[in-house]
Amino acid sequence: MRTTARVTVPIVLVVSISLFLQGHNLPGGGFIGGVLTAAAFVLIYVAHDLDYLESGVLGREVEAGTSVFEHRTVTAYRRTLLAGLVIVLGSGFAGLLVGDPFLTQGYVHLEGVPIYHEVELASALAFDLGVYLVVVGSLLTIVSVVSAE
Amino acid sequence: MSRFVIAPLLAAVTTAVLTLALGRRPRIQRATSVAGAVAYVGTVSAAVWSVVLGPAAPGAAAYQVGGWPAPFGITLVLDGLSAFMLTIAAGVGAASILFSLRYVTAENQRVYYHPLFHMLLVGATGAFLTGDLFNLFVWFEVMLIVSYVFVAFYGTDHATAASFRYLVMNVFGSALMLVAVGGLYATTGTLNMADMARRLAAPDAYGIDPAPVVGLSALLLAVFALKAGLVPFQFWVPAAYTAAPAPITAMFAGVTKKVGIYAIVRLYFTVLAAASVPVDAPGLTAASPLGFLAPVLGAMGVASIVVGGFGAVGRDRLGAVFAYSSIGQVGFIAVPVAVAAAAPPAGTLRGVAIAAALVFALHHALAKGLLFLSAAAVEDATKTDRLADLGGFAGHSPVLSGAVFVGLLSLIGLPPLTGFFGKLLAFDAAVRGVASAPGPSSALALVALLLGAVLTILYATRVWVGGFWGRETTAVEVATVESGQVAVLVALAAAVVLVGVGFDPIYRFAETAAAAALDSEGYVDVVGLSGGDGA
Repeated sequence: MRTTARVTVPIVLVVSISLFLQGHNLPGGGFIGGVLTAAAFVLIYVAHDLDYLESGVLGREVEAGTSVFEHRTVTAYRRTLLAGLVIVLGSGFAGLLVGDPFLTQGYVHLEGVPIYHEVELASALAFDLGVYLVVVGSLLTIVSVVSAE
Repeated sequence: MSRFVIAPLLAAVTTAVLTLALGRRPRIQRATSVAGAVAYVGTVSAAVWSVVLGPAAPGAAAYQVGGWPAPFGITLVLDGLSAFMLTIAAGVGAASILFSLRYVTAENQRVYYHPLFHMLLVGATGAFLTGDLFNLFVWFEVMLIVSYVFVAFYGTDHATAASFRYLVMNVFGSALMLVAVGGLYATTGTLNMADMARRLAAPDAYGIDPAPVVGLSALLLAVFALKAGLVPFQFWVPAAYTAAPAPITAMFAGVTKKVGIYAIVRLYFTVLAAASVPVDAPGLTAASPLGFLAPVLGAMGVASIVVGGFGAVGRDRLGAVFAYSSIGQVGFIAVPVAVAAAAPPAGTLRGVAIAAALVFALHHALAKGLLFLSAAAVEDATKTDRLADLGGFAGHSPVLSGAVFVGLLSLIGLPPLTGFFGKLLAFDAAVRGVASAPGPSSALALVALLLGAVLTILYATRVWVGGFWGRETTAVEVATVESGQVAVLVALAAAVVLVGVGFDPIYRFAETAAAAALDSEGYVDVVGLSGGDGA
């Protein structure tokens, strides 16, 4: 299980990020990218445990004996969710500031970027980033709290 | 101008996110929540004044979210009907959040209470504003997800069971709604309500066959009736209402239920009224979806009045009496809507009956909000809401009892309170319904209204005599009433009196709303459809 997780988690994460990045004009997007990222984390949890991310990856001490809501990882997930909400709302309001309707999106083509040569930068990506963070944050909060029961 | 349309939605959603962010600072969180409610009331007033009621108001306005033109994007529409419902939501919302501050314990307020409360407002606002059928489904879901949490809020056995029942019912309802919306999309080729009304008015020009519309709309009617708690979909109401925190119950009765009623009126009278589809069900032939709505909704309304009235008479707890009474009162809203559906399209009866339903909805939101909150204040003071353990509250706390008295009298329908006009107009509509189409069904509606009125007098008297008159019981003697709660109740009672005394402008507002509900062509014009002609 741990061996499988070690191999698959990076692949899942890369695919999820690519889905997220192409989302605004190809199949994909913040929601499905977020779900996939959350799935990768769940795989780690199944293979190891809730504390593994802190102790094994970040090398921190894990405080024992606190309830799951005060758990540092869970707090981080809830912050992720909140940050996502703020980004979604902010990207909606950005359109209002320049005089367009709420949630209006635009895009620019950047030319002459090294390696990629031409990159399309869409403001929908900001909205999608918010969705991505909301999905990752909320799913992982739910999974960790429910699994701790 | 049109920017006002989305302002209430943005005020509520921004407050929800801010209160979530401020979860660690309870005092600032509460202040933000109240400020958000004030902003909501302010934006609703500004929107209603500038779009519908003001001297230079256009009467309706549309807002294309994200700049996508209708019918491709999501359109928000503020017309008289939406404005009337939003005003109700703003009034009940403000009273509920102020009451919550002094009622829900500080500990519980920290647990997502404020963000969820504002999300409930977001869902209701979105449902009142949206001009898109699928988007309506989304706002219903927003409202429901929040409601599940609120019904389970206290985490007791009773609350968990009630929440689970509510969840199962509504997941089923949502699935049904999704199927119906999908079916309507397949039939008419559009989800935009204005576009749908336009296409159904001239099915040949758009090459669509409107025959399935009646059946699909019947599915939607079932879902909306479930939200409104009409018989036979009423059984979740008592458990959910008594399990949720009282300010939320006031919101459920005052706002969430009205969303169901609003959706029925909007869908049938604005969108489907123009369609002429022969209906041929067993025992029922009609020429349009409205001909189907009239008998079905009428029967639901009559059954609700009977079940709710008898249920309320038999309960022995304040909260349960008011929950059952709520079922009966929604019947009083449904019957005029059914009368309007049965009325000939050309006459004035249709507008009069819809206005009657809207005035009754306003009355019910105010009076029932007041009564649910008073029941909570009484329970908070005495730790019981059993009528058997209460008694003599009038002597113990005259101010709180006075507020309850006003609420009960309004429920009974004594002039000059709001409830008097609600009932007067409902009876007026029913009598005119009998006059325009004499027959057993219209007479039955009138008899049911009479029976409902008598039952209301019975249970209101029972509550007053059992809980507030007589000798003080031991529970009442030691009770201390929270003055902050009483202040909110007095304000609500004052609103019930003032709306009744200054009823004329309110009625003109309701008439405007009813006219907007019936004006399909005006609705289509406001949305400003582009493209898709004859497609």
